[in-house]
Amino acid sequence: MAKNVYKKKNKIHVFDVVNYLVFILIGLFILVPIWKVVVDSFNAVGVYQFQLWPNRPTLDGYKTIIHTKQLYQPFINSVITTLVGTLLGLILCTLGGYVLAQADMPGRNGLAFFLLFTMVFSGGMIPEYLVMKQLHLVDNMWILVVKHGINIYNLVLMKNFFEGIPESLFEAAKIDGCSPMKIFYKIVLPLSKAALASIGLMFAVTIWNDYTTVKIYITSPDQTNFQYKLRNMIMDGDTPTTSYNVSQTTLFNAGIVAAILPFMVAYPFLQKYFVKGVNIGAVKE
Amino acid sequence: MKQKKQLMTSSGQPVRKTPLATRVWNYRGYYLMFIPVAIFVLLIYYWPMLGIRYAWFDYKPVGPKTFVGWKHFETMFATAAFWTAFKNTLQLSIMKLLITTLTAVVASVFLNEMNNLLAKKSLQTIIYLPHFMSWAVVAGIFSMLLSPTSTGMVNGILKDIGILDPAGNGIYFLASKAWWRPIFYIINIWKETGWGTIIFLATLSGINPELYEAADIDGASRMQKIWNVTVPALTNTIITVLILNLAKVMNMFESVFVLYNSAVYDVSDVISTYIYRQTFAVALPNYGYSTAVGLFKSLVGGFLVIVCNQLSKKTRGRGIV
Repeated sequence: MAKNVYKKKNKIHVFDVVNYLVFILIGLFILVPIWKVVVDSFNAVGVYQFQLWPNRPTLDGYKTIIHTKQLYQPFINSVITTLVGTLLGLILCTLGGYVLAQADMPGRNGLAFFLLFTMVFSGGMIPEYLVMKQLHLVDNMWILVVKHGINIYNLVLMKNFFEGIPESLFEAAKIDGCSPMKIFYKIVLPLSKAALASIGLMFAVTIWNDYTTVKIYITSPDQTNFQYKLRNMIMDGDTPTTSYNVSQTTLFNAGIVAAILPFMVAYPFLQKYFVKGVNIGAVKE
Repeated sequence: MKQKKQLMTSSGQPVRKTPLATRVWNYRGYYLMFIPVAIFVLLIYYWPMLGIRYAWFDYKPVGPKTFVGWKHFETMFATAAFWTAFKNTLQLSIMKLLITTLTAVVASVFLNEMNNLLAKKSLQTIIYLPHFMSWAVVAGIFSMLLSPTSTGMVNGILKDIGILDPAGNGIYFLASKAWWRPIFYIINIWKETGWGTIIFLATLSGINPELYEAADIDGASRMQKIWNVTVPALTNTIITVLILNLAKVMNMFESVFVLYNSAVYDVSDVISTYIYRQTFAVALPNYGYSTAVGLFKSLVGGFLVIVCNQLSKKTRGRGIV
């Protein structure tokens, strides 16, 4: 008996060691590329070796980024489109989700079909492009706001969330003579802060990170966004002229860090909202 | 959606419903609230659907539109590059889906077994990170890591440990037909595994602890518990994740678009990138042809959504959304 207990203990020990090893390996696999980019962005000379700390530290990469005028406008465009697009996205998906959550509303199923059909069938890239052209959204940064502002998937997530709010709250408000709009902003919205944060973050990440839409729709440099401009700099050799004698590798890495910085800074504080967003719709079994 | 119950009076007569017009009037506020949504959906989704008619037209940026019947579809089905793109779309998306789901399941099982809460939380924070990077940034990071120049880490290390000739050129991974797909899968694992674990971890946290206690009493080892309790508990979620994502198989675009190049079109070109090049990378595009290819993509995609919806209804009792 005593021997058995000892054996079992030993086994658990081995498993834990393996588990820690796997943990470290997964962590390194994810972290090494990111850490290399960060270190190299502060390193004056580009090297292939992985370093924990820059061996010739410099801030020239970041100084070049800050002093590159061609990056200002794209950065401002990214900030504006992300803010406005997120706001529009939240307005549309809460309005739509709230209406669809009215189970007894005449025509509700028709409206649901009207929205869900767009998930089954779409006109495709080219007809969409031609329509945007007629709306004067080609070569116009507001395309990012319009295109991402309506998102049926997020709308359905919002609907699922609203359906979880106890019906009695609505009924009490209706008896008190509240209009639907008043119920919406007096009762529904205050109860949905967490869901709004989650879905708002999803919108913000999507718009800030969008590269393809800009690539397809935009040609003027003053209408592009930050991601597009940086990618052009790194992959397509559109290097800014600079007074700093900075190596290309340093500059590229600094550019990448600049592009991911806003979300990396906010991320540890917002992680729970991101995670919640995934679980609002998905694990409703 | 809730099942509505027919109300009865005490004498067994069905309660008379309020007339439709009255009910519509009562909900007038809600219809008003739906108008902005409807306008955007009509503009962004429905108006482009009308443009599908161009698939039967010759339509160039200059010159008149002329009706050409099924010409574009015939050209499309006779073009080798189209079939390559179609096969690549299916292969790349389905392989990616299977591989990232597998790695997410394995990672969440290990996370679930970790007793050190601090270690668990830290690793979760780390592995979720890449999900928030854009594909453009991810492509930038990996093209530098994999670059054959003197600053490419992977080639440098391969030379250091003697796998590659130190004086040689190194491997240009992203421009090599043999390497492009494995690298594409690895980058997808890097970016999406962590995010994929969220849904599995949510399921695992719902497992009844009594199951593990019962297994302990039966003398099960750690591995046996994982294999006989944890993994079966995940089966339903795995099926759900696979079905939900199978519906999106045809949508693959940005991840390929930022990583491919003309040297590897054979193994990397997907339908969307093919449409993009036919339209925006040629001197005189024929919108008609691109629209026809897009229509084919939409129809296959729509078919997959409907199939997945049916599968979803069968396996878990409700549709995709």
